[in-house]
Amino acid sequence: MSHDHHDHTHEHDHVEVEGSWRDGQDDRPLSVARRRFLSGLGAAGVATTLSTTLGATPAHAHDGRPASPVNPWAGRGRWFAGDHHIHTKYSQDGQYEVAQQVAKAREYGLDWVVITDHGSVAHEKFSISQVTPDIEQARRSHRDVLVYQGLEWNIPGAEHATVFLPPGRSTVDILQAFEAAYDGALLSTPVANGGKGLITRSTSADGEPYALAALRYLEAQVLSGRTEIALMFANHPARRGVDSPHEFRGWRDAAPDVAVGMEGAPGHQAAGIRTADGGNGTGRGGYDASPNQDSFPGYAPTATENPYRTYGGFDWMTAKVGGLWDSLLAEGRPWWVTATSDAHRVHQDTFTPGTGDHGKTGSRGAPIDTGKPQVQSDYWPGFYSSTLVGANSKSYVDVMRGMQSGKVVAVHGRIIDGLNLRVRSLGEGDNRGVTIGGRTFVRRGDDVEVVMEIDLARGANFAGVVARLAKVDLIAGPVTGPVVDRDTFSAPATKVVKSFEVARTARGTVKFTHTFRGVEGAFYLRLRGSDGNKLTSDGHPVMDVIGDADPWSDLWFYANPVFVDVI
Amino acid sequence: MTWLGAVPTLPGEHGAAHVDALLLAAFDGVATDFVCTHIDRLGPVAVTTLSAHVTGEVDVDRLSAALGGPVVVLDSPDPDSPGSPAARAAKAARDRAEGRCIRFPGQSALTGTHPVAEVVAGSAIDRVVGIGVPVSPTDRVETLGFLRPVCQDGELVLLVEPAVGGVLRPTEAENPHECCGGH
Repeated sequence: MSHDHHDHTHEHDHVEVEGSWRDGQDDRPLSVARRRFLSGLGAAGVATTLSTTLGATPAHAHDGRPASPVNPWAGRGRWFAGDHHIHTKYSQDGQYEVAQQVAKAREYGLDWVVITDHGSVAHEKFSISQVTPDIEQARRSHRDVLVYQGLEWNIPGAEHATVFLPPGRSTVDILQAFEAAYDGALLSTPVANGGKGLITRSTSADGEPYALAALRYLEAQVLSGRTEIALMFANHPARRGVDSPHEFRGWRDAAPDVAVGMEGAPGHQAAGIRTADGGNGTGRGGYDASPNQDSFPGYAPTATENPYRTYGGFDWMTAKVGGLWDSLLAEGRPWWVTATSDAHRVHQDTFTPGTGDHGKTGSRGAPIDTGKPQVQSDYWPGFYSSTLVGANSKSYVDVMRGMQSGKVVAVHGRIIDGLNLRVRSLGEGDNRGVTIGGRTFVRRGDDVEVVMEIDLARGANFAGVVARLAKVDLIAGPVTGPVVDRDTFSAPATKVVKSFEVARTARGTVKFTHTFRGVEGAFYLRLRGSDGNKLTSDGHPVMDVIGDADPWSDLWFYANPVFVDVI
Repeated sequence: MTWLGAVPTLPGEHGAAHVDALLLAAFDGVATDFVCTHIDRLGPVAVTTLSAHVTGEVDVDRLSAALGGPVVVLDSPDPDSPGSPAARAAKAARDRAEGRCIRFPGQSALTGTHPVAEVVAGSAIDRVVGIGVPVSPTDRVETLGFLRPVCQDGELVLLVEPAVGGVLRPTEAENPHECCGGH
């Protein structure tokens, strides 16, 4: 199902019957069966043909082919909360056992987690063989939590990214081969130190072709059947400004089924707590950097904004309406946002790293319990940040398919429990409509109805407070097709269309409706919501203040977009 | 009174305070009142370059050895240098077109918390610009002993942002969050 978003790019004979989504649905099993047949061949030739086709046009191309709904609305679905960015003692700057992280994630309500230790010479050489049995043991100990094995990949030429696969016969082999061949740390480390010495720095521009090759490698593993699915999310994308706009576009185009999104909100959300309140007193999200030599020059601190800071805890690329994220969406390019913990060392936890030499053994060794709360920057997985994923079942592949198809909501501090979004044509076109991450269609001049049902928090968050959603913004902008300048990072026509106030007395589920009347061109829409505590005069999130950013008093959620085609 | 440009060999990231210290150490014995780092992006890989305004004598060969890379003197008759990264750096600093300033007149007096008016009056900094906030002459700038104003359109500008305690802090911090990676 999650593959649907590019069906229409290679299923040329897929004809939609106007005015009836049911007829459209009847065609779907056929196309699915055909695709399975193709991928089942597993031949390199097929892989090449497919990736060429996909690479040539964005997955949501606007080339006049008939529309078909993606992520069809199916009533109230289930959300599975998770975190795709978690470190252990197998990271040079981490400390916890896999078992500790998974137990905490479960305690804090997560259904799925991804273990993502940093790629490095020592990690590839020593850590993978150690973390694999630990992950397998954690799966046995916590059968109700999906524990994915992943990697925090140093994207050559850019920032870090989560890469992960479902458990399978070749999972570890694929991850290890991927890291050995394509991790920016290994590529930039001199041969004398065990690396490849092929690029200047992990983040320097000469690494960019390796990043594209890496993603094509992962896509080839899927197409050849070695793994059912593989995903990549760019982590803390604006932190050092080294993810250029053209790099996002390049990743997505190189492997549209693998490179699917980015952290809308980075981890390290406790980092900005005031020192007077026992916190670290730095930048929320660990965002306190300035441009370096590999930063994209367009991301510059100015009198109006600082791309190197978080805004309401979210990365500038996501938080800025009409900013980088919107510039991708305005192309009709699917790109999803998430929220993670990036848990290395947890604020007020009593553990400190073990005494192991990570460079020589790939592990920090067992963490040491000092008995004293430590001042740190992170929260446990699930404690503050959640990535809610809509999936058909709580299975490894289904949750990944949900992420791939954009049925994802990024939530901080339990500001909401869930979201049921339905976007549909009120005239001719897709009357059933689609939900988050989806794509629907309407006849030119007809109306599009947006129904938002938001499940308010039914209980306290882990600060012990029932978070109160104060407002929901409906954001929309025209889809204008592929950009000419691949380093475009603004979408000036994307705006907050309407803000809905949530009554103070509201409980349970609140429902808002908005109708786009007489739709003349393709557009997309997305939602975000806030506790209303920190807003600019025009209702946007405020730049987080270094050393004074209490994350619990500035809560937001961001839902992924729905695209509306006009036929 | 000469503008120099250089392409130093850097043992770390551009913008790291310890790298600045190494660069300035290379100028020991050379009188300078203005030193900037620049990023030259004309090649396939971005390169950190350096510029300096020398107020006395300078032994270019010795400086070049100390920096581990070529040094050029702006407006020298050398025909090869005008288009080089080092020459571009020197020009950018002379014209205050771009660059990140690691030494400038008045820097040593600005190590504590100072009103904006004092920052501008007592140093080469032309303007203090607040990110997302207006700045008045009486607003206080908490320097934390580390100032890296930038050249912009002919001016030396200090970018500041609101910080805990109702003060403004320079946007560039001396010790930003170390981002990991077990390289």
